[in-house]
Amino acid sequence: MKRLIQLEWTKISSYGFFRVILILTLSLFLLTVFVFSRIDISVPGFTWRNLFRFPDVWSSFAWVASWFNLLLAILVITIAGNEFSGKTLRQQVMTGLSREEWLAGKGLLILGLAFFGALMVTLAGFIFGFIFTGELNVGIIFEKISILLVYLVQAIGYMVLGLLFISVLRTNALAIILYLLYFIMIEPIIRGLCPAEIRPWFPVKIISHLTPLPEFFEITSGEALDNNFMTFESIGLVPRQLEGSITIIMALVYISAFGLITYLVVKKRDL
Amino acid sequence: MILETKQLSKNYGPIKAVDELSLSVEKGTAFALLGPNGSGKTTTLGIVMSVLKPHKGSYEWFGKEPGPETYRRIGSLIEIPNFFNYLSLKRNLEVIARIRAAETSDINRVLDETGLLKRSSSRFDTLSLGMKQRLALAAALIGNPEVLVLDEPANGLDPEGIAEVRNLIIEQKNQGKTIIMASHILDEVEKVCNHVAILKKGKKLASGRVNELLITDDIIVIDCDNNEVLKKGLEEKGLVRSAELKDNTLEIIPASGVSSGHINRFATEKGIVINQLYIRKSSLEEQFLKLVK
Repeated sequence: MKRLIQLEWTKISSYGFFRVILILTLSLFLLTVFVFSRIDISVPGFTWRNLFRFPDVWSSFAWVASWFNLLLAILVITIAGNEFSGKTLRQQVMTGLSREEWLAGKGLLILGLAFFGALMVTLAGFIFGFIFTGELNVGIIFEKISILLVYLVQAIGYMVLGLLFISVLRTNALAIILYLLYFIMIEPIIRGLCPAEIRPWFPVKIISHLTPLPEFFEITSGEALDNNFMTFESIGLVPRQLEGSITIIMALVYISAFGLITYLVVKKRDL
Repeated sequence: MILETKQLSKNYGPIKAVDELSLSVEKGTAFALLGPNGSGKTTTLGIVMSVLKPHKGSYEWFGKEPGPETYRRIGSLIEIPNFFNYLSLKRNLEVIARIRAAETSDINRVLDETGLLKRSSSRFDTLSLGMKQRLALAAALIGNPEVLVLDEPANGLDPEGIAEVRNLIIEQKNQGKTIIMASHILDEVEKVCNHVAILKKGKKLASGRVNELLITDDIIVIDCDNNEVLKKGLEEKGLVRSAELKDNTLEIIPASGVSSGHINRFATEKGIVINQLYIRKSSLEEQFLKLVK
């Protein structure tokens, strides 16, 4: 384990693209939440600022952070892809690294990046939460913090799917393009062709729904609204979605499946 | 036994890259896989290094089915040097050392042995082809493995580099290490190796000791005032196994027990004046071309 972490760190720590993507993710996220926090929409009965107050800051920040998961996935695709195309994976296997160990190293990289994202959300959440929340108590601070775990699962999901794409395609450009197309076109089209009952069960649908669009009306009004009233789903803004717990279980199932397929592909093919 | 392969086969579509290849390499030998381009040398090495999957057959290292830890005992350089472009030489070797669980202090030793110490903090992609090849050799030496598997180790090097690399390999051989080397350069095989298997289209044509398989009779080259008469005379007297006229010279392979002195005396008795007479070692190229034809 320690050996694999050291190995992975040796490979990426002085890689320019790695640093650029991390800095980009961090700065774009902070910039976005900062700009949003400067907006002041005051309609009687609704306060935009609620989005930055405990406990709702967790869900709104996790949602913003999820936009940048694609960047992290592209980083994983590039790092793994370099090892396929530069044949360094081949050399590492000849040197005595098993294919399983190589994949485990990539798993650790994915975990590390997911924790980086979660840490980013946590720190920003605390900072903005403390600034914007009027009356503080411990209960309110941690009330909805569990969304961070869900964000972690989501980030892992995005990156594991990226690892699957690059393991099958082995070319960075192709893997990145098809990965993005899968997200924005291929799966949505397939979903559209399927019966409505099946639609919520697709992997990208499930994984991207882990950190759902915050229920703006509910949060900004500061009152828990009737579930059937003014939620995005009920007013038809977003299509029918699965329940939170089912979504998490399905996401974990998909992550395991992607991991397993990646393992089989890497195990069986010539390097 | 260091390495044993049994009926290894690998196809690329309809092309048989390796065809029922059985080899055995004993401890302490310098074993060469010799063959023209496309004869399956690299594919064979790729299979025994576990990066390519054979369609048929099996192989054993050190008398066992190999696992990842087996390969930590083997230094390898196959095809082109494969390193991380964006990492320094030192970092690249650190990757290798970490996999082998070797001391990182070994990095400076191998950089020094391959003459790359001064460049240790340069990025890999700033190196010339020759230096990349040296780095690959340095990587193979990390952790002092007992076996070296080298594919065209002198690829891309200038004459000085070729000599240096060759000496480095010979030195490793003299330390008792087993060397398995693929090459199409006969000279290299002759200078470095003591055992050889000759491949063509993935099949083994011949194998054995280098000095038995590749070196045969010497040729005597004669230039005299009447080559044809001398040729006829030698043939009638049964002094030659074969005699051939080439341009202005006569090339003969003497019958057993016949030396150049005998030939010279015979010519003098016949009244033929010899201008020039020398012995030429039968070249490896000729032998090799005969074998692969």
